[in-house]
Amino acid sequence: MPSKADLTPRKGAFGAYGGRYVSELLVPALDELEEARKTIVRSSSFKREFRETLREWAGRPTPLTYVANFSKLCNLQVYLKREDLLHGGAHKTNNVVGQGILAKRMGKKRIIAETGAGQHGVATAMVGARLGFETVVYMGARDVERQAPNVKRMQLCGATVVPVETGSQTLKDAINEALRDWTANLENTHYLLGTVCGPDPFPRLVRDFHRVIGKEAKQQWGDRVGGLPRAVVACVGGGSNAIGIFKAFEKDREVDLVGVEPGGHGLESGEHGATLSKGTVGLLHGARTSVMQDPFGQILEPHSVAAGLDYPGVGPEHAYLRDIGRARYEWATDDEAIEAFETLARTEGIIPAFESAHAIAYAMKAVKLGHYEPGARILINCSGRGDKDLDTYRKLYGHRIGGGVSGAKGAHA
Amino acid sequence: MSLVHLQEAFRAKKHHLSAFLVLGDPTLEVSFELAKKAIELGATMLEVGIAYGDPSADGPAIQKANLRAMAAEAHTEAAFGVMRRIHEAFPHVPMNLLVYGNLVHARGFERFVDEALAAGASSLLVPDILFEEGEELRAVCKAKGLGHAELAGPLTTPKRLVRLAKTIDAYLYLVAFQGVTGARTGGGDAIGELVTRVSAGVDVPVCVGFGLSSGEQVGKVFDSGARVAVVGSYLANAIEAGVNAGPIGDGRHVVESFAKAFAPLAETAKRYG
Repeated sequence: MPSKADLTPRKGAFGAYGGRYVSELLVPALDELEEARKTIVRSSSFKREFRETLREWAGRPTPLTYVANFSKLCNLQVYLKREDLLHGGAHKTNNVVGQGILAKRMGKKRIIAETGAGQHGVATAMVGARLGFETVVYMGARDVERQAPNVKRMQLCGATVVPVETGSQTLKDAINEALRDWTANLENTHYLLGTVCGPDPFPRLVRDFHRVIGKEAKQQWGDRVGGLPRAVVACVGGGSNAIGIFKAFEKDREVDLVGVEPGGHGLESGEHGATLSKGTVGLLHGARTSVMQDPFGQILEPHSVAAGLDYPGVGPEHAYLRDIGRARYEWATDDEAIEAFETLARTEGIIPAFESAHAIAYAMKAVKLGHYEPGARILINCSGRGDKDLDTYRKLYGHRIGGGVSGAKGAHA
Repeated sequence: MSLVHLQEAFRAKKHHLSAFLVLGDPTLEVSFELAKKAIELGATMLEVGIAYGDPSADGPAIQKANLRAMAAEAHTEAAFGVMRRIHEAFPHVPMNLLVYGNLVHARGFERFVDEALAAGASSLLVPDILFEEGEELRAVCKAKGLGHAELAGPLTTPKRLVRLAKTIDAYLYLVAFQGVTGARTGGGDAIGELVTRVSAGVDVPVCVGFGLSSGEQVGKVFDSGARVAVVGSYLANAIEAGVNAGPIGDGRHVVESFAKAFAPLAETAKRYG
């Protein structure tokens, strides 16, 4: 284990995490972006356009929903922040709207993005279409196969989807490929990174575009419920939806901030993506953060049923919040997440994304684990909707679908 | 080996041709044979890399070289083993280590630098620990006598070049093209102008790489003021061609394919003192 003293990040550091661990060749692009963050993003005309686009095109504000039936099952009072109802079907749209408008104002003609599950790719393709960019999305070749419907959606919005055949052919390789493209084309291209990872200034830039989630939720909570939630719960892969809802409550020390990582087949199995619970400090995709790696520093392939959580690193600010004790990181296994996915659908008519189902799964066990007293009021970020996961669900768990179709036996559909 | 040997090499000879090899590509044994062949043909330095699974600054040729070496289980310790063998056979040929930051970070800076020196390294370049983030690593290298190199590119500003050069004691590695590694043809005049500008602006040896694939380019690089010309992706392609030609076995056809590619560049370099 490297000691903390070995390396202290300077640029955009969150304690011992963050920084800029990239090639010198990317410096002009990162400097340009940081300058744009300080000037353009802070300008009132940018803020106005961002706010208006989120309202008129993306459908903000999203509702806060009290889920009574589900609450009874959990022995809690559960409120969902409905990012699943945002245009595109997930919180990702906040970030792409922000970075898209920024790229336009920076004079870029082309945007590139990485995607794992395809959600960020779809969001980028949508904003690329609206703002008139040439859009290229890098996606691991394995993910292209696993997420065919999202590939179609990206193409429908005019984006070019490039399958990445190198390495493990998943999200981390797509990020590597996007970094390579950006290095070669930085003069006309903006890299629209999809989460709070990467080199400075991305973790701060992406976080700030997602702050709207927590701001709205806090306001809605105050108006409808009163006081503050006992805990704010969100799933964590790269960690953008979690940081977006956490930030508004960070200074309210009585509110627990709980991130839920993908426990995959269980933490003992080694097949998981619980980077904050089981990772070690390393350098990945431009940041010093908690990473899943072998003793030599080779990055390991994580596992989760939720492709959007299938990432061997995590946003550096989460590693920092963990270290200072401000946030706590739990995990839910694939099975627990699938059970939560089914339960929320059956009890509330809301089909969450597999990713979000990890946060919901934690709520189902929080009282049993003794983490909260029965009846505690909990806010969960329902970060996305589960339509994209139905194919996977049918393949892996189809035998569990109950209800049935009336007269389905032997019938021709 | 240490920085002192690199400095001696720079005093003894003005122009150096260097071959970049990922240690363990395509096997630990053949990798040693390739280094041997490069030196026999006229390489007076070597750039050596340790295989990494996420080489985000590299193009397809060197990505594949990394994957071949990883398949040969050329992890950090095994790679240092190959370096030691090369160093024992060719003690006067400086070896400059190019390695991704996480491999150095995971081992711990002190330990990594100690092991690199013991394996015969003259200098270290970590392409993804940016200058601003590199203070601790530079301090360790300096304290232990391992040379320290930095990357610069076509868009690096003159002011920044001077800042980088101030901390460097090995060389400035100038990337000839804005982009990832990969063999490129042509571009001679643009490279020439870039190398002339950068060499004139700093008082440390300038090493040029990223895309050189012909004797003409090597000559142009030397004529423009560079002290070292590095050939990497072009050789990785030759190794791949050799690997694809049949079972690796004793690696003879891999070495042949490599030699055929490298020889013309080495011939050009011989015309330079």
